[in-house]
Amino acid sequence: MASSRPKVSSALITPAIGFLCLATLVPIAAVVALSFGDFNIAFPEKTRFIGLYNYARFLSDGRFINATLVTFILVVVPVVLQLLCGLALAIALKEKLVGTRWMRAAFLLPSVVPPAVGGIVWKLFLIPGVGGLSYLASLFGHNFEADLLGSKTSALISVIIVSIWFGVPIVALLLLSSLDSIPDEIYEAANLDGASWAQAQWHISIPLVLPAMGAVAVFQALEVLGIFPVIFVLTGGGPAGATEPLNFYAFLTAFTYLDLDYSAAILVAFTTTIVGVCFWSIRQISATRVGR
Amino acid sequence: MRRDLGRRIYGYLVSAAFALFLFSPILWTLSTSLKQPTEMFQWPPVIVGEPSAQHYTAIIADKDFSSALINSIVVSCSTIILTMALSIPAAFGISHLQKTAMRRLLTLVLALRAAPAMIYIIPYFLFFRQVHLVDTKIALIIVNTMFAVPLAIWYLSAFFDQVPREIEEAAMIDGASTLQTMTLISIPIAKSGIMATAILIFIGSWNEFLFALTLTRDDAKTAAVAILNFIPFEGTDWGKAAAACVLMLVPIVVFVPFVKKYVAGPTTTGSVKG
Repeated sequence: MASSRPKVSSALITPAIGFLCLATLVPIAAVVALSFGDFNIAFPEKTRFIGLYNYARFLSDGRFINATLVTFILVVVPVVLQLLCGLALAIALKEKLVGTRWMRAAFLLPSVVPPAVGGIVWKLFLIPGVGGLSYLASLFGHNFEADLLGSKTSALISVIIVSIWFGVPIVALLLLSSLDSIPDEIYEAANLDGASWAQAQWHISIPLVLPAMGAVAVFQALEVLGIFPVIFVLTGGGPAGATEPLNFYAFLTAFTYLDLDYSAAILVAFTTTIVGVCFWSIRQISATRVGR
Repeated sequence: MRRDLGRRIYGYLVSAAFALFLFSPILWTLSTSLKQPTEMFQWPPVIVGEPSAQHYTAIIADKDFSSALINSIVVSCSTIILTMALSIPAAFGISHLQKTAMRRLLTLVLALRAAPAMIYIIPYFLFFRQVHLVDTKIALIIVNTMFAVPLAIWYLSAFFDQVPREIEEAAMIDGASTLQTMTLISIPIAKSGIMATAILIFIGSWNEFLFALTLTRDDAKTAAVAILNFIPFEGTDWGKAAAACVLMLVPIVVFVPFVKKYVAGPTTTGSVKG
């Protein structure tokens, strides 16, 4: 029986892995091929090989350069702020204070809201003058009627804030599980030595969750680009491209301007960079999972 | 340390600030969904005046949106079934491999899922257009399954790891085949993990936007996309959009408590513990 086992295993595994390879590798190969071609969706038979022409177009495309910059901002700034805010929230939730228990159960909600719904929820919240933000301001006696999505800087900041809103709960959850695994004895020992609560956080909690933060950062960097539906609903990439990252630009290039080969080139360049950065970490993490 | 004032001040301040930040947009949407149209532009804005269910009855009566809701349910449930049919045997098999082979396969599974969703949009669009499956639920089910299988394999293999090997071996000695052992012994024991995985697949499929946007027109449109129809052009009546948002959130709010541990994704759960 022992000898028949491996065979049975591969019969069980092959369909899923086969489907997965087929459904991921073939499309990716197709996109790479498309990016080297001159393709018109109305005349697919006239497709011809044009080498790196589509990639050369990057250099003279101001919108591409702008989108690259926006991508960089929309990855780095939200991830850094998510980590800082997530850590702040995780430290607060770890304390299990009376009256904050419900937070421990409910704080995850924004992370699982359908992104398109999140976009509408925020659009509604930010309506100038009559939105939720204006309401909150009115509670504090302010008359707030600015159109935050109307100017370039404030629109970008708004998108960053929504991105933090989506990401913070996940980051806090991960850091909280990391904090919860620190033995209480360490804090008790620090307390006996006369350390205050704040000192204990600074010298114990933060150093001990730092290693976890590296992995969280990498995966949030992949995750924050999933904000596409939010941008689609909230700003449409505007005003004047201020909130248009590469994946959004590629989407418009393909489905609004029907320039599919150029869109493919943008996506190949974009994906290669992202996956290259993350592949190494995936290996590390998968090793941890098996080693457990 | 229990009597440390700093701990309390910090805990309450930060919890309150985040409660405000994380929940006020959602609560505002809930309040808008219950408002009368006249209350929506009141200055200063109000939370709730006279609650009214009119927006909810309006969107349920809306044929486009109610059929989109049904599409969402059909697509999500079909995705669960197809993903499970592929992933349960695979995860069971992977869980019984040796460590090196297991690590290689799990790495492969995750690596295949690493590329951003956007890279798949053009080839899938061209492919489904070619085979005349644009605007069908089948296209969405296939795409959602592609995204769900890696996640499912990852979780299910971890759940199968927890099934005591002695019980499986005892079944094998009694003459059960591998398939019988899996279906009669291991799956019932891993039942709760399988349920959790099913919920995660449901949420992923329910929330999916990009492919539903590009691969559907009318017939197969899901609620995550149909909801855009309710966005008013010039800041007028947001009641329906808000009510539709609240309806979309109902299954999420019901299901998430059961999968709280896992929503952070398969890629991160393993790493942080170590």
